[in-house]
Amino acid sequence: MIDREPIKFAAHLIQGEEKISIEAKYASKFSLLIRFLNGHKADPGSEFSKLVFSKNGEEIKIGPCQYITEPKKNGYQGRIVFSQDVYDLNSLFFEDKLEKLQAEFFNLPLILAHKDDIEKCFREYTANLNYDLNVYKNLFDCLDARYADEPEVIKQHVQDAIIETEGRKFMTFLDEKLEEFEDIIINYSKKDHERHGYYLRKQLWTFIMCSPFMTRTNLKPRGYSGDSVMMKMIYDNKYEGNSTFGKLMHKHPSEHPAAQAVRNRRDIITKMLSKVKSTDMKTSSKKIKVLSVACGPAFEIQDVLTTAEDCSRFHFTLLDQDATALSEAASQLTQLEKKLGTKIEVEFLNESVRTMLTTPKLDKMWGQFDYIYSMGLFDYLTTPVAKAVIEKLYQTLNIGGKMAIGNFHISNPSRFYMEYWLDWVLYYRTEHEFIDLLKNVPSAGTKVLFEDTGSQMFLQVRKYDN
Amino acid sequence: MNNSIEFDVKPDWDEIEKVRNESADFLQSHELSDDTIHSLSMIISELIENGLKYGDFKTEGNKVVVIINVATNMITVEVLNPVDESAYEHLSKLDKTIQWIRGYQDPFEAYIERIKEVSKKPLHDMESGIGLVRIAYEGNALLDFFVAENNMLNVSVVSNLEKGDRVSS
Repeated sequence: MIDREPIKFAAHLIQGEEKISIEAKYASKFSLLIRFLNGHKADPGSEFSKLVFSKNGEEIKIGPCQYITEPKKNGYQGRIVFSQDVYDLNSLFFEDKLEKLQAEFFNLPLILAHKDDIEKCFREYTANLNYDLNVYKNLFDCLDARYADEPEVIKQHVQDAIIETEGRKFMTFLDEKLEEFEDIIINYSKKDHERHGYYLRKQLWTFIMCSPFMTRTNLKPRGYSGDSVMMKMIYDNKYEGNSTFGKLMHKHPSEHPAAQAVRNRRDIITKMLSKVKSTDMKTSSKKIKVLSVACGPAFEIQDVLTTAEDCSRFHFTLLDQDATALSEAASQLTQLEKKLGTKIEVEFLNESVRTMLTTPKLDKMWGQFDYIYSMGLFDYLTTPVAKAVIEKLYQTLNIGGKMAIGNFHISNPSRFYMEYWLDWVLYYRTEHEFIDLLKNVPSAGTKVLFEDTGSQMFLQVRKYDN
Repeated sequence: MNNSIEFDVKPDWDEIEKVRNESADFLQSHELSDDTIHSLSMIISELIENGLKYGDFKTEGNKVVVIINVATNMITVEVLNPVDESAYEHLSKLDKTIQWIRGYQDPFEAYIERIKEVSKKPLHDMESGIGLVRIAYEGNALLDFFVAENNMLNVSVVSNLEKGDRVSS
């Protein structure tokens, strides 16, 4: 929280050779209240080449600036505003940074030049798509306006009808445009993809921002793409947005194979855990210890724990770098406890997998697990890191324990849609590369399975006795 | 021909240039183009520099280790150095920064954002963080890291070898 206590300080204004003493006070982001000292008077509109003052022992010289008068405010005679370079006084006084408002333009030549290597056919494709999307958006917006005054329930019915008719046709149009787009970019290098993706997003930004789904993946409010809100949007797979067009732009990526794969993987984990439960129940009365790595909101636990008896069988440890996701998971589980009238044994670990390995004897601290799973973590880990993490997880597995690790396959049909439109880049692997992550662990029994869309793999691991 | 090479780097800034030259010779022996070698040399220098800056060299014999591996379609550079508890704050920042950089499809966006930040001129010395962004943008490489149980920080970059990255292609 920034402390915005009034800041008063002694300063002087430079006008020609003259040095005029003032008392200044922070007034707003771009202005200072001032009072001339020693009986000095200045005309409204007077220009000064510099405002000079000392901050933390350092002399700050900023300007040129202009004096504007206003009715006396607590003894101050007027304000100083900047007439050329505009300085952000919030940055200066509260963040210790000297920032010019116009600094945003420093990168302009670089950004403008970034379009120079865009392929002609990609430019044409983007321009045509921009035109088409404008036409569609206008049409849907006009329809929205025509039933805007209807009662809420009627509005909803009308919108549903539009979505089911012209809306679904628009979704087919988007599918066709994506096919056309994939044909254009098929031979692009990594660098080409990056540059053309940037260009596409810049050109289509207005449309991207209509979709809550695309807005979130692009803006990444929590610093990464696949956060718990995103997961909820994918699981819900609803029409969300402020307009019919926005709802369609939201639903389209939610229906794409990668999003379906995310829904499928939740089912896969639920089935695996249910199987562990039914198998282990026959052989042991001990609680089944489960670790979920990069757990997010852990919605799948609600699918697994459907009775009080289920709850008595499991002990969950949920690990995530995102404290908000963990608190969402905690609140879901509290609700589930109320619903089922029983306690759920769960521990929360707010750790990053990249730094958790420093913890000596992790298995001693966290215990050993019968089942470890991670659905959406390894898509972000490069090979050296993925190897270190998976080996460590394997160490914390009990003999006979199982592990299921998800990773999108290199052939993910949504890959370029995600990269170009959603600014969502994953680290893809082949089956061989995935299995290879555990090549230094000879006692591991591994196999790879795919969910129904074929986009997402699961590396299934069983720990055998050496 | 060996696909991997490892360098032990003493905690001495003058060592950077030496490793830079020797790694360039190794990369040249794999027929990589001058541009690719130049990018990788920049990456190696930046990572060693960070290793020396944040590493724990109080114990005699502590060093930075550089491992370069050239595979058919990919080059991996790993730079390892010991860290102590004083580096934990840096590691947390490193984690956020790397995820932030990799959150952009085009690292150019991270580069632009970082330059914008740097242009804000902090009134006291602050890390610019531009080095990591340069690795991603100019080096066209994916950054990642982990800290092993022995408090060894492993910062790695993975760079795809594409058409034009080798002299023979």
